[in-house]
Amino acid sequence: MSALLQEAPTIGTVPALTRVGPEDGELVALAIRGNPDAFATLVERYDRAVYHLAYRTLHDVEEARDVAQEAFFKAYRSLRTFKPGAKFSTWIFAITYHACCDRLNRRKRYSSEEMPERADTGPGPEQQAIALDEAQRLRAAIDALPEKYRAVITLYHLQGRQYEEIAQVLDLPMGTVKTHLFRAKEQLRRLLSGAEVTDS
Amino acid sequence: MMYDDDALDRALFALPLEEPPADLRASILTATVYRPAPPFSVVEISVIGTLAAVVLWLVGVIVMGGGTLFVHTAAAIGGAAERSLTNNATLAWLAAGSAAALWLTFFTGSQPFALASQRFGRRPSR
Repeated sequence: MSALLQEAPTIGTVPALTRVGPEDGELVALAIRGNPDAFATLVERYDRAVYHLAYRTLHDVEEARDVAQEAFFKAYRSLRTFKPGAKFSTWIFAITYHACCDRLNRRKRYSSEEMPERADTGPGPEQQAIALDEAQRLRAAIDALPEKYRAVITLYHLQGRQYEEIAQVLDLPMGTVKTHLFRAKEQLRRLLSGAEVTDS
Repeated sequence: MMYDDDALDRALFALPLEEPPADLRASILTATVYRPAPPFSVVEISVIGTLAAVVLWLVGVIVMGGGTLFVHTAAAIGGAAERSLTNNATLAWLAAGSAAALWLTFFTGSQPFALASQRFGRRPSR
């Protein structure tokens, strides 16, 4: 594509959000000036993380894919509204999370009105958490969390200990984010050790 | 296995991201930066829209019977055109012009119609 597309360093297996090459803000400015490769680089940097957030929130491959596409499309159309000092990752995650919330709300409405009997004979996330290997157990345990905690943990996974950015994405006070994170971790520990969990 | 806070953090940060569908990136790029240009630009749509609105307005004026001025003007223009086309001098100049154009086309190798059709057939890519 271009020299802008360089392989990013990784921390463990999670792609780092600090990158080799131009800063995200510079890429946004270039994209606004009509450079298609600049936006393509941003897509390359964040498509996986955006898809991950969508998939963890929605648990549906097709919906996650649609949301990822929709999020980048919205971001592309409103690049001019991006504040120069802001972080692109926070912005794109916020767009993604709001798109996920819209779909979850629609799904809830639809399922309560028209799909009252939803056959799910497979093991629940909690049972899966006990049965699988460590990474799969951790994933299953995250899936077993209530939605509000799952979102915080997923963003903590993606953005690290940047509570302010997590709070911006979720549109919650920082104190609430910290509380949710604390409870989410507590529930995760209990799930991973096989104990019963009660939502608090 | 028991997890303390640090162990849980390590496990979380070591957790691989979900593998997206293979064509996700391509579909995002196709929907954004590499999206095919629309058949008409905004300017073209504006011009066509304006012309259509004017035509619609004129038709409306004529149909509603309130376009007396318009009808008189159109009749005056039609009359002037008719007078010009029945004037021998005008017809002679038109014949001379047509003959010159034909002569240039046949004897100089110029292909004005072919060039024009090529020019209009090609759309600039954005």
